[in-house]
Amino acid sequence: MKKIEAIIKPFKLDEVKDALNEIGIKGMTITEVKGYGRQKGHKEIYRGAEYVVDFIPKIKLEIITETAKVNEVVECIRQAANSNKIGDGKIFVHPVEQVIRVRTGEKGEEAI
Amino acid sequence: MAAGLQTRRNALRLLWEKGLAGRSLLRENTRIVDSQLAHWFTGCPDTTGMALVALGGYGRQELFPFSDIDLLLLYEEGAEERLDSLIEAVLYPLWNAGLEVGHSVRTVQQCLEDGAEDFFFQVALVDARLIVGSQTLFNTLQNRCRKVLVDGKRFDFLNKMSTQRKERIDRFGVHGFLLEPNIKEGRGGLRDIQTLSWTAKVILGMQQLSFLENTGILTIAEYYTFDRAAEHLVRIRNRLHYTCGRKNDQLFFEHQEEIAKALGHQSDGAMLAVERFMQDLYESMQTIAITTDLFLEHLHEISAVSAPGNAPQEKTDIEAGIEIRAGRIHLHDSTLLQKKPHMMMRAFTHAAKKDRELHYRTKKLIAANLHLINDRARKSRRMAKAFFEFLTAIRPDSVLLESLLETGLLTAYIPEFVPIESLAQHDIYHVYTVDRHLIQTVNELQDLARSSHRHIAVSDPRILFLSGLLHDIGKGTGSGHSQRGARLAKNVTARLGMPRRAAEDVAFLIKNHLFLSHIAQRRDLEDETMIMACAQKIKSRDRLKMLYLLTIADAKATGPTVWSQWKSTLLDQLYLKISHVIERPDLDTFQPDFPQATTWMRDKVQGLLEDAGLSFETRLLPDDYLLSFGPGEIVDHIRIRLKLAPGALHLEHKRDSAHWSILLVSTDRPGLLARICGVLALNNLQVLAAQIFTWDDGTVVDSIDVCPMLTHGYAEQDWQALEEDLRRAQETMEVFEHRLQKRIEPYEKKRPHGEHRSGVEVKIDNRTSEKYTIIEIYSTDRIGLLYDMAKTFADLGIPIYRAKIGSKADQVVDVFYVLDQNGAKLTDQPLLERIHSALARIAAS
Repeated sequence: MKKIEAIIKPFKLDEVKDALNEIGIKGMTITEVKGYGRQKGHKEIYRGAEYVVDFIPKIKLEIITETAKVNEVVECIRQAANSNKIGDGKIFVHPVEQVIRVRTGEKGEEAI
Repeated sequence: MAAGLQTRRNALRLLWEKGLAGRSLLRENTRIVDSQLAHWFTGCPDTTGMALVALGGYGRQELFPFSDIDLLLLYEEGAEERLDSLIEAVLYPLWNAGLEVGHSVRTVQQCLEDGAEDFFFQVALVDARLIVGSQTLFNTLQNRCRKVLVDGKRFDFLNKMSTQRKERIDRFGVHGFLLEPNIKEGRGGLRDIQTLSWTAKVILGMQQLSFLENTGILTIAEYYTFDRAAEHLVRIRNRLHYTCGRKNDQLFFEHQEEIAKALGHQSDGAMLAVERFMQDLYESMQTIAITTDLFLEHLHEISAVSAPGNAPQEKTDIEAGIEIRAGRIHLHDSTLLQKKPHMMMRAFTHAAKKDRELHYRTKKLIAANLHLINDRARKSRRMAKAFFEFLTAIRPDSVLLESLLETGLLTAYIPEFVPIESLAQHDIYHVYTVDRHLIQTVNELQDLARSSHRHIAVSDPRILFLSGLLHDIGKGTGSGHSQRGARLAKNVTARLGMPRRAAEDVAFLIKNHLFLSHIAQRRDLEDETMIMACAQKIKSRDRLKMLYLLTIADAKATGPTVWSQWKSTLLDQLYLKISHVIERPDLDTFQPDFPQATTWMRDKVQGLLEDAGLSFETRLLPDDYLLSFGPGEIVDHIRIRLKLAPGALHLEHKRDSAHWSILLVSTDRPGLLARICGVLALNNLQVLAAQIFTWDDGTVVDSIDVCPMLTHGYAEQDWQALEEDLRRAQETMEVFEHRLQKRIEPYEKKRPHGEHRSGVEVKIDNRTSEKYTIIEIYSTDRIGLLYDMAKTFADLGIPIYRAKIGSKADQVVDVFYVLDQNGAKLTDQPLLERIHSALARIAAS
């Protein structure tokens, strides 16, 4: 099993979610995050006052999936989140040791 | 034994299921526990000098199904050694039965000492009731308590009680109108009723609240409303305890649905059963909160009057019929109201301006005179004036808006408010009911306005605050509340006599109050076209500011989870982006539907070309060019272009109503725009507006609006010379420059020397457009300015692809879309600095 963690632009969330739904991913965790990478923060000048936007708002998605499905999910997110611009985000894939469903105690892929 | 108690409690539940409800159930529960305790007590061998005393809610005979049983084992000095057997006989079985017991073992003296030290215990003693045991001992406790803890300290008790209530409400929610209210500790909860009952007992010596109606504080009708509300709350708490199967006083969403159904509330298209149920609950809690406020305020007033050494209250007249006394606003002449109903609103206006509260008698007076707010009063200019003064003057933390709502004056004055009064919103975002949310929004707006947030000042605060107060007024009747709210608001603004523009702004703000937050979170903020479309929709900077502030206030007033730093960053970005473009001169003509419109234009032009038997690649025409002219004009340009010899220049001029316009078609070369501008200056023509385009094949199409600097007519203008100059200017730059300088000098001298040019600004923007670096120059207009700027670009080797020249009065805004020689945006920092300083110098000279 793997955990796929994707940082995407906020306005792409709906598209990504729909695309994932279509390939059968029903569950995910979503967090509002802020950060910066190559798309650096920027400075806005407005009427003499300066607003420094040093961390840019993004959405973080976390999805746990069986290993066989990882490539499909990653590709799905990549396509849906792509606007061909800097700041479109990144996808990380981590190994997951165990998944346990709290209510039933089921383990492994059954619990996903 | 314990099993016996359990059986009895099961019997209680059965009684409840059969319909024993409210306070009757509490009394029955009390009776059951009483008789069991008495049974155990009398079973003890020797209980002389001992008594079992019920405290707290149990003492008041208000024992809820799962509440703690507060017990005091009272004993005489010397009875210590016999206590063990009593404890064994009474407390052990209670514990075994799994009941929550709060117990203490004390002598009378210990009670007095602890009561003096611990206010909570003192309050618990107020409700002390003998269950079984020595009556003499219990009487001693009562008498000693009165002498030691109460006599001469009554107002001390009142102050402590009020402070405690305030702390409690702060902790459990200032608004009883939180969507998951605590029906015991929250404002208007059962604890408020107890507060009332304790103070009535200690200060007025009243054993029952029903005596309240004799004190003149409440009318009989008011007392019955209060009593019904209290009963209502008790019923809900009983059910909540049974629903949860334990002691719980917070009404979570899941319980709300269940209880609403159990109480027989029905859903319909507009409102859920649970929303109706909650609306009723809020009304009861509201009644209790107001009654408690009023009662405590009354007692404080008495205490202030009767306190020794108090000077007679100072009073100041503010206007006829309204005075300020002891820090409260009073409407002291009720006879005036008949003729001048707007005085009720004036009282609020004064309160807001002086940051005071209204005296409770004034609030009652207003509540009793609402019938005077008729159609005429609702359309009265004086009333509207007072209302707006009030609305714009209240402090962010003021309770006055709530008072306006609680007295009923707000709904009487703006009847559109009626359907949303105490209306719950059954979702996870909203924390307040709609009416409280609207009030909170105004408070947040006041807070934003005073914190000079983002240096935003709006031209007419009345529009902003009224929109804040009304923005959700369309709720409660199904979806589409923004639209409906805007419609309702039109009636309101018409009655209030707002000017048409202001009324339109209010309707716009209400209709679009979710627009910015929606866009900020769901649209690509890098999308220039989308930003332009937003700007076109919003239209003016003032509206944008108000919409921005309303968006923030609305979110903050919705609940603690709604507004976050994250969302704020997105909204700020959107706001700044729109604000950069909202005053662009081409805002109205900009086509938001970019790809579709350009495709359509290309097809149209292609068709016309074929009809005319011409052939030209329309893909060479840039998008923004296509959207700036009509298809016929474009075909004309192509025709000119096809006939144009390499390096030649075509000039057309014509007279429009207000100005003259010049069309220039040529092939691009460095410095072309500079020369054109120079020649125009040389020929005494001032540039009003210009659109400069470069096709992908290097053809330049310039459309320039000019007017003469010297007063002469169109016919007198020497167009021949102009064309000649243009041709010559192509050849030798030096000669041309020399002539131009001579032309400009006389004007230069006319200007007072050393005059400081203000308002000069040069902005280099690499973000707004995806393809170009945009350079904007704001400055005061002068002859040759455009030439100097265009020449600067030419000297630095920077081609200009588009230019827009606009002027307002003597202020010009020149916008240049440029790229470097390789066709990329200008990113080289030293170069950008050189451009900036050169342009700034020219603009300021």
